[in-house]
Amino acid sequence: MTQIIAFEIFELLVFPGIAFMVLMGFLFEWVDRKFFARIQSRYGPLYTGPVGILQPFADFVKLLSKEDMVPRACDRGLFTFVPILYATLPLTALFLIPIASEAGLVEFDGDLILLIFIFGMTTIAVFLAGWSSMSRFSILGSVRSVLQMLSYEIPLGLVLIGPAIATKSLSIGEIVRWQASNGAWFLWLQPIGFAILVICLLAELELIPFDIPEAETEIVAGWRTEFSGRKLAMFRLGRDLEIVLAASVVASIYLGGAQAIGPIPPAFSFILKALGALLIFSFTRALFARLRIDQMITGMWKFLLPLAIAQVALLQIELGAFG
Amino acid sequence: MGYASTIKVPFGPQHPALKEPEHFLFEVEGDTVVGVKPRIGYVHRGMEKAFELGTYTHDLYLAERICGICTAAHTTCYTQAVEELMGIEAPPRAKYIRTIIAELERIQSHSLWIGIVAHEAGFDTFFMYVWRDREAVMNLFEELTGGRVLHAMNAIGGVRRDITPEGASKIRKVLDYFEGRTKEYLRVIRTEQTFLKRTQGVGILKPNEAVKLGAVGPTLRASGRKDDVRIDDPYVAYGEIPFNAISSDGCDALSRTLVRAEEMIESIRIIRHALDKMPVGAIRVRAPKVAPPAETVSRVEAPRGELIHYARSNGTAKPERYKVRSPTLANIPSLCKTLTGIHVADIPIILAGIDPCFSCMDRLLVPVKGGGGTRHIAKLRVG
Repeated sequence: MTQIIAFEIFELLVFPGIAFMVLMGFLFEWVDRKFFARIQSRYGPLYTGPVGILQPFADFVKLLSKEDMVPRACDRGLFTFVPILYATLPLTALFLIPIASEAGLVEFDGDLILLIFIFGMTTIAVFLAGWSSMSRFSILGSVRSVLQMLSYEIPLGLVLIGPAIATKSLSIGEIVRWQASNGAWFLWLQPIGFAILVICLLAELELIPFDIPEAETEIVAGWRTEFSGRKLAMFRLGRDLEIVLAASVVASIYLGGAQAIGPIPPAFSFILKALGALLIFSFTRALFARLRIDQMITGMWKFLLPLAIAQVALLQIELGAFG
Repeated sequence: MGYASTIKVPFGPQHPALKEPEHFLFEVEGDTVVGVKPRIGYVHRGMEKAFELGTYTHDLYLAERICGICTAAHTTCYTQAVEELMGIEAPPRAKYIRTIIAELERIQSHSLWIGIVAHEAGFDTFFMYVWRDREAVMNLFEELTGGRVLHAMNAIGGVRRDITPEGASKIRKVLDYFEGRTKEYLRVIRTEQTFLKRTQGVGILKPNEAVKLGAVGPTLRASGRKDDVRIDDPYVAYGEIPFNAISSDGCDALSRTLVRAEEMIESIRIIRHALDKMPVGAIRVRAPKVAPPAETVSRVEAPRGELIHYARSNGTAKPERYKVRSPTLANIPSLCKTLTGIHVADIPIILAGIDPCFSCMDRLLVPVKGGGGTRHIAKLRVG
């Protein structure tokens, strides 16, 4: 009995729990920075650790030790609370994703809905962060981020529901197992959905061309402008975890998730797939200029939403035809 | 009392979009800019007074340091003015060397700008590539003149160093490389959809407004005019070299980018021609220490537009009055006009559109009535 409890605590705290996820966050940030830099014919992180692999961790520790400044006009309680909320939200969502085996740490029917809810909550946290700091740049940034959410959230929900309709289950674990047992990834079954998911997640992660809420040359750092020290460190950690979450969602729902491929154990195949998804994000963000908020919203409503609906309709026809 | 419908968004004196300290206060209603107040003068360095204190030889070094990016334009303008005061003329070979250095500088300055505008539009990959290729020109400068940024090539009465045949072949090699790269940039600028979306139809400046508000250089040429000091009032060797003034009639941020990119190709053509036709002979004549009483105005097409130097001598070794009008100052009124009625997101692209070089520009002081001191021009409101 004690052994089982000890094992569960180990699973929750170490692998594939909190420690592992934070480690993945730092690793993913390094991969993203290095890959992005190489595309731009730069070196990227180089000095901390072998090929700069410890740079994200070093940045995190450095920020923790920096002075934590709080603007006089801000909403103090909210200003302190939001960074923690922002870091814990993606961590919570990561518990739902099956990483080490075909079942997540927490699994119940309907966890896909909770995942979509957490994606929405992250944007709300961003909005609160900007709103509570009471700075002109922050407020502009937070308003932009909410506007952005209004445009990508519906297509995002629709393409996450696509696989759920096909598997007749709202559980992420069930979707992963369905792909394993049928030997088909949703990437091949619903390619339009995959493309839409990547675009929506780029917007969720505020990456180029959708880095509108934190457009450096326009509104300094957007909603993050007033945060410093520990609070900024929490935001950066939350951001890393969000990238891991986004890559994991792509990996488990569209790329088959944690399934053993030949001699490769499930956890490794999962990390490889998530890294693949990350490289798609990094590559895309190197290719474009930043869009303007009105152009982004128009594009999302005019093209992405109809495509997402068409995807669901196509799926229904498919299901009707082949059972 | 109702709520104010506008908020004030400050840009600068410290802001990521501005590389130099200058302040613009935007009045924003929703996502639209309804008013802008520039406040210039943060980097006033007292240069014109310093010109009066130094001798003509000293002042050459001072002129070189007015701007870090268009130093050759400033020294060409300075030496031209002083040579006219002293009644001497640079030898033909020196004039060709001045032309080559000035055009290399234009290439360097325009590629720097294209990188910056790409960065302002959030297109960092393009920025990195352009700046990487710009290094070729910077290294060429180091080999030719000894300095990457300050070239110290121009002297009163000629130039300091000759361009050797080996130097000429190095220039040709860099030009061949850079011509290919520039054509690639032009392709990216013309075809990259997200970049087009951010620049096309943004920051419209109609030709008549541009003329009325005194715009100069690529900003004016992007509004469909073909005004170029190099053609209208040829100096150094431009009169002997055939080339075209580049203009584009889009009147928007995209035209400003295209004009500069195409000017780089034209500059490459000018340098090649100058290298082919370079006369042999001396590169410098002896200049007297003092200038007889006279006054003169010298004009040069700097990378950012028309640059004007005014000098007055009084028979001593020091100028009595020296005045510099840099192109950025001439472009500020038209900039303020284009900055109204736009989206907040377009501010950096339009602001960068004139290729601002604020530190070269800040030398305005006006006396305040009744007070003893002076103050900077604080408010300049247009449109």
